[in-house]
Amino acid sequence: MSGGRLSPIAGLVTLAGVLFLWLPLLVVVLFSLHETASLSFPFEGLSLRWYERVYESPEVRAAVQNSLIVATTTALVTLVLATLAAYGMSRARSRWRAPLSLLFFLPITLPGLFIGVALVIAFTRTETSLSLVTVTIAHLVYVFPFFFVLARAALERLDPALEEAAADLGANGATVFRRVTLPQVWPVLVGAACLAFALSFDEFVITFFVVGPDPTLPLFIWSSLRKTIDPSINAISTLLLAFTVLLFVVTFGLASWSERRRRGAVDPLALAGAEAPR
Amino acid sequence: MSEDPRVRIEDVSHRYGSVTALDGVALDIADGEFVTLLGPSGCGKTTLLRIVGGFERPGEGRVLLAGEDVTRHPAHKRATNMVFQRPTLFPHLDVFANVAFGLRVAGVNRQEQRTRVREALALVRLDGYEQRRSHELSGGQMQRVALARALVNRPKVLLLDEPLSALDLKIRLEMEVELRRVHRETGATFVYVTHDQREAMALSDRIAVMCAGRIEQLGEPTEVYRRPASVFVAQFVGDANVLPVEVIETGAEEATIQLGDCRHRVRCPQPSRGPAWLVLRPEAVEVRAEPCDAEEPGALHGVVRDVAFRGTGFGCRIELPALGAQVKAEGPGSAPPFAVDDAVRVDWRPESGWLLPRAGGEAVPDPIPEPDAAEAHA
Repeated sequence: MSGGRLSPIAGLVTLAGVLFLWLPLLVVVLFSLHETASLSFPFEGLSLRWYERVYESPEVRAAVQNSLIVATTTALVTLVLATLAAYGMSRARSRWRAPLSLLFFLPITLPGLFIGVALVIAFTRTETSLSLVTVTIAHLVYVFPFFFVLARAALERLDPALEEAAADLGANGATVFRRVTLPQVWPVLVGAACLAFALSFDEFVITFFVVGPDPTLPLFIWSSLRKTIDPSINAISTLLLAFTVLLFVVTFGLASWSERRRRGAVDPLALAGAEAPR
Repeated sequence: MSEDPRVRIEDVSHRYGSVTALDGVALDIADGEFVTLLGPSGCGKTTLLRIVGGFERPGEGRVLLAGEDVTRHPAHKRATNMVFQRPTLFPHLDVFANVAFGLRVAGVNRQEQRTRVREALALVRLDGYEQRRSHELSGGQMQRVALARALVNRPKVLLLDEPLSALDLKIRLEMEVELRRVHRETGATFVYVTHDQREAMALSDRIAVMCAGRIEQLGEPTEVYRRPASVFVAQFVGDANVLPVEVIETGAEEATIQLGDCRHRVRCPQPSRGPAWLVLRPEAVEVRAEPCDAEEPGALHGVVRDVAFRGTGFGCRIELPALGAQVKAEGPGSAPPFAVDDAVRVDWRPESGWLLPRAGGEAVPDPIPEPDAAEAHA
């Protein structure tokens, strides 16, 4: 009788939960496509005019550009720094390894508010004027632990005997990293860099404290909401949502692909035809 | 130069925290020799190999390769190559790129890379496997690739860390034949680590039997088997009966010993009177049916407790009431020579026994348990 089926009550509760999670998002997406400027039902037809408005707005363009600059810089700098940190922490035999490792990833638990206040105090004390540079620095602080955790986990899953084998065959430290370590973990690192980009791109709380005259996209949305509410905000939000989701998909897609490749379940390079077998 | 041994290990000691892994080990290995470090788990054999390969730096002592002190050189600067216990093929590279790895790092040109990789793969009989990836190979094939990857660099010294221990018995036996052939064909010096005494005897020119961080005995397989230097070696290398005896008379090359009421002669280079251990290999124990009621004084009487078919012959366990001990005997034959509870007499030729010194009151050593196949990397 029961089997694996949901009882009607459990079904209703589940449905309510799903709607609660997704309905607000759907409403935003739906009204970004609204014909008129009205933000309430009845729905009066589909149109892309708000997307056109967004595309043509110089302020939106500037904000998107600012966000792209900050997120790209953050992702690239984190990629280099956090990879080095994670590699060092996963290979060092020092007794400082555990405490240092903790220091690198513990900021993941810090509230954004705390980071924002701390940084704004630091910038004021050092008389650093707030700009996209300070935003980037703040994002580095925020994003670093996330990248570090992912990269270290990937590096620690590698067989250390492979690196010993490479050293035995005459490869020095840098060559071992370039020819043996990196080829095995790059999908995870690229994925983590996408995550870093996404985290930076839609970061709001910390940015709010340290932003200068040039707003990032989330701050621009927030400030336009204070002036008027029109469906172009919905359009921007929808675009932001789509972009962020895409980056997360890439992140976790690469991580799981790398994991399957490591286990030898698939041979993606051969599948992709990168190397013709036989 | 030619007088320097290919590998010289000088008084190497090494500790992990409070654990002594190696305790003053010295060993010279000649050019082209096949030397095996044999011992149970935790005896320090893998640590010693890793010190020769440059993966560990010894706490004390020196390592010399052809007269050059390399103690402080890291692995990538040594003219040694290693085959690891588990196949450590690079998963992101195919067989060709795996084997060519050392050549690429050394900057060998592509033409020569191709030639030498082909040669190395032919040497391990994997011609035509260039494009395969490691997950498409069997365990035995992976270790062959690992062997080719090491040999392609033409190392003067090849280090092998239990390379066959992860393989099935049948493949292991085939690989032993291959290793002997590769050793003959390359003329390189092989330093081999194993806990499998049968493997060590089958492969090596010389065996260094290790226990608790020291070399207990160094010698040719036949010597280690026939003239073990200690009870540990006698029991670890091959099967052995070790019985407490008294030496009561000494001659030039022979001793008369007493076990229980029985006297017997044993060959022994420099016998001395007093307590000793008698080492008897099972195949040296001669068992005869006891004539009914013909109790002969001086003979060693026993009762058969167990008979087992061994393929090439039969193995028996015989209880010796006079000594309160059991001995193992083994002999060829197609039908079981005795039944359980048969009364028998036990004998051996003087030259097939071996005597070792024994401190008075020392108990009969326990047989050594079989070491784990997967020995932990210290």
